[in-house]
Parts: sequence; structure tokens; C-alpha cells
Amino acid sequence: MKGWINGIGWVTAAGFGRGRESSEHPFCPGLLEIPKRRQVFEQPDMRFGRLDEFSRIGLAALAFCLRDAGEEAWDKKRPIGIVAASRYGCLQTDLAYLQTMLPDQGKLASPNLFAYTLPNCFLGEAALRFGLTGNTLVLNQADRTGLAPLRFALEELNWSGQQGILTGTCDLTPPAAFAVGNECPGSLFLLLEKTPATDVPSYGELVLCDNEIIFAGTRVVDLPSLVTACLAVKK
Amino acid sequence: MSRVVVSKVATVTALGNGLGPLWQGLLAGRSGIAELTRFDCANYGSRQAACIKDLQAPLNGSLLDDILERVAKQIGPLPSDSRLLVASTKGEIDRLTTACREESAIPASVLFEPLLAKIARRFELADGGCNINAACASSTIAVARAAGLIAAGQAEAVLVYAADLVSEFVFSGFSALQALSAEPCRPFDQQRKGLNLGEAGVALLLMNEERSRACGYQPLAIVAGWGAANDAHHVTAPARDGSGLILACQQALAKADIAAGQVAAINAHGTGTLYNDAMELTAFNAVFNSQLPPLHGLKGSLGHCLGAAGGVEIVIACRSLQQQRIPGTVGCHQPEAAGQGRLSAEPQKISGDYLLCSNSGFGGINGVVLLQGVS
Repeated sequence: MKGWINGIGWVTAAGFGRGRESSEHPFCPGLLEIPKRRQVFEQPDMRFGRLDEFSRIGLAALAFCLRDAGEEAWDKKRPIGIVAASRYGCLQTDLAYLQTMLPDQGKLASPNLFAYTLPNCFLGEAALRFGLTGNTLVLNQADRTGLAPLRFALEELNWSGQQGILTGTCDLTPPAAFAVGNECPGSLFLLLEKTPATDVPSYGELVLCDNEIIFAGTRVVDLPSLVTACLAVKK
Repeated sequence: MSRVVVSKVATVTALGNGLGPLWQGLLAGRSGIAELTRFDCANYGSRQAACIKDLQAPLNGSLLDDILERVAKQIGPLPSDSRLLVASTKGEIDRLTTACREESAIPASVLFEPLLAKIARRFELADGGCNINAACASSTIAVARAAGLIAAGQAEAVLVYAADLVSEFVFSGFSALQALSAEPCRPFDQQRKGLNLGEAGVALLLMNEERSRACGYQPLAIVAGWGAANDAHHVTAPARDGSGLILACQQALAKADIAAGQVAAINAHGTGTLYNDAMELTAFNAVFNSQLPPLHGLKGSLGHCLGAAGGVEIVIACRSLQQQRIPGTVGCHQPEAAGQGRLSAEPQKISGDYLLCSNSGFGGINGVVLLQGVS
């Protein structure tokens, strides 16, 4: 099973970025800056300000990824899906929502926050903004390599009529109680497509064979090493 | 490509433990929706929900533990090499709410990784599994994924386990969104006023046909087609033109390689909200070229079971194909014009081999599974 890596975008403790503007992979421990609208989109956008932090980092990374692939603009909806892995999901949003729900026995429960207490909601934000009509889901799975969503996406891509899948990870800094040390919070997505990008050179072909992910002839051990390899190819 | 069959199922719903009582209750037009006593509803827009009877959380546990135990006992032994796909939208949300209310430490079990480990352990599966979160289409998409894995030869057996609770967290949220019906909900009725929440646990063992036969299981249905598509329209409201659901239906029909006219019945999502039900009728009329087969929805009986809704509905669809009838849509007394003649509060006879199940959810996602009866 194969897919072309046509775009890479991220929001991490290293900052905001996309593959064609960077030379080093962005995964690192540290404080995560939550992007503001003007750091992601040029045009005013009332919806962005209403998003919870989890959705903001996810949506921003997806936007940077599509921009990197030259596929941010669209005039017709397209069969591109999103498979996003998350360990903590929207736990921080759940906690924020509970702070509105608990004090007055539900009287002041926030409908806006509640709307984002499903971790797949930011996928809907991306779908409507970028005209994406593929399958969209969040995956929770024990996986320290970051490769589980890529395997899932490669299978989806090859078994369905979807043209592409945006796949990667999205996690805010976890609550202190869950910190295990050396977390690299943030979101990073790759755009995998059936064919190489037309407006920019592709990073290369990703292959899934016997559950191993291969890039440029080498077995990929984790997501950071894959991104490093992609950024090296570009140069 | 291997044919994918549903080999074993188990259900726990407001209409009892097991498919037998559930099926009989649905045929009798019973509803599990009742006055909610689990938490104080004084400040919410409804007091109605479909709760599982006598659900008890173990000490320092979740109500989900009781559901898991009941489902696991019911389904019995499984092939130990089965892959595990879980579909839950909020997992142990009751424990998170309690911890925040009591200002105590948040238990790790509110994360999906420990929940998955617990589920895998209880079913005695080696696979650690993954949870698929696609809102109210979660279990439909998990069944589709399971079928994909088996059809491609990546797995011989996959257990799909789905469960969600009636929790104050979700209840208050839907109340704040003004989506709850103060009365028992009325899917597809002209007077519908919103949804009622429900809870359920469901397990479906999907296998390739040869392995199922070798294990001595009598297949309940064939998973003939599946599809998933996003509306790309809105995060909490469906696309009024039903574009995402139409796409998902078309994908499922193409995968099954059948014409829309071969579908004998539809098990619709039918939440009872104004916009969802209208969207579905628009989409189905487009897919079936205004020649709708009989259709029904179960949420007037079971409430909206969130991530578990699709799984329960697929189990019911297996039985519907076997018995060539679909349960009534409880609460639907004056069907919407677009569904008139095809919707009924009473059970309907059907005639044919295929039944289409659909679910749609927040985030604009739509999932469709197309079942084929086993002769």
C-alpha cells in the first residue's frame, strides 16, 4: 500500500511551520503557543476565535499542511479524509466545560464549549473550511511511535475512493497529573495522496508493507524520523 | 476479497440484556425512555432518557464497567486473535465528572488507553485495539473499518465493541444546545421536538466467511458494503442537502455492487431533531430517486446511544433481514411528508436481501453500512 507525502504542517512547542519552510523536525518538549487567527489565516474569521485550544492547534496544523502541498485553496469539495491520533483528545475542553456545568448544577453549562467536547469536531472545522468530504475520525491507541494513524490512513487511502488523507497527531499539553515527562505537545499532519502533488514537488512515496512503514527505502521507526527524512529529501 | 459476516453479537440497552428482549420490545413498540433519576435534571430542558436498568458502577469504577461485564458475559468466548475496535465518544465520562465535582485527582481511566486495555483484557484478546471517535457515527465507522480489514485479508476476525453512557456531562450539553426533547422523542414525526439520550453496550464479532464457518458460527448477516463521508458544511448541524450522507450511501452501494432499488429497508439515524431527520429524508430520497424503501429509526425506543447507536442498530438490522420485518418507529405518528408511506410506528414487513444502516454526527461525519441477509 502506498501514498505520496505531498504536504507537512505543524503547531508544536518549536512554533508553527510547514515542511517546505523548515529544515528540522519540530517535535520538542516545551510550552505550546496556541495560534491566533492572524497567525494562521490572513482573512478575518469569526469562527476561529470561538474554537477551543485543541481545535485551534489541530486546525492550524491542517491548514499549514494543505498550504505546504499547494492545496489550501479550493473551488469544489474534494474527497480528502482526516485520520488524527490523539492520546488526551479534548480532555482540556472537557475540564473547561465541567467548570461551566458544575457550579450551578448545569444552569450555566456552555453550549459553545460543549460543541467541542468531541475530539473529532475540529476535523469538521477543517472539512468545512477546506471542502474535505472524505472520512474523518480521531484515533485513540497506545502508540509511542506516532505511526499508527499513518498505517490507518494508508489502508484507508488504498481501500477507498478517497484522493487523499490528512493524517497525524494532535495533543495539547496534558494536565499535570498525566504528564510522563518529555511530552512533545502539538499537532502535526501529513497529506498523503494517491498521486504526487501537481503544484509542488512531492516529498516522496510512503509504503506500508507487512505492517512496516517504508520511506525512501528505509524502515520508518517513528513520526519525527519520518519528518526528518522528508525535510532532507526536499533539500 | 473475503466476504465479511457478522458472526456473534451482544447488546445491553434500555430494553434489556440481549438481542431477544430487545427485538421483542421493539416489535411490541416499547420504549425505554423514562424519567431520569441518575442525576438532578431541574436545570435542564428535559427529564427523559433511556437508561439501562439497574446499572451499577463498582467501587471507584465507572458505569461502563457494568456494561462491559454484561456484554462480555453475553457474547462469550471469542477467537483470541480477533482484532479489537472500540467505539466510544466519551468513555468513562462519569468518572471525570465525579472527580471534578469532588475536586479529587483525575483518574487515568478517563483516557482511552487504559480503557482499551481493560476492554481487551475482559474479552481476552491479545490485540490492544484502538478507539474510533467519529461522534455519533463512531460504531458504524468502526464496523466499516472492521469489514475493510477483513475484506482486505488484514484480519480474519474483528471485535467491534461500542458503549456510551447517559451522563450529566452530555445531557447538560445537549440541554444547553436546546437539542433535548422534554417529551419522549418522535423521530421523523412532523411534531418532533428534539432528541432523548440513551445508553448502550454492543459487541459485534465480524469474521471472514470461511473462518466463521470453521468456528461453527451461524452467520447473522453479510457486511456487503460501507461508506463514510463528511458534509464539509457545519460542525454541529447537518448539511440540509444531505450531501455527505448521499456520498456515504453511494459508496456503500458501489462497494456492495448493487443498485439502490435492491435495498429492502433503511435503518435511519433518526434522532428526532428537526434538522437531522429532514436532512436524512432529503438524502434518502436523492439516493433512492424518491422510491424509498420502508424505513425506520430506533431512537424513540432506545434514545440516542451516541457512539454505540450505530452498533445496536446494525445488530437489529441483522435480525430484521432474518425475519423480513423492521420494528416500528416509536413516536412517529404523523410522518414527515418526505417519508410518508414508508415510515410507521408499527412494524413493517420488508422483502429483499439488503438493509442500509446510517448514522451522522457532530463534525459533519456520516457513516453507512449495508447488510445482506444470509439465506
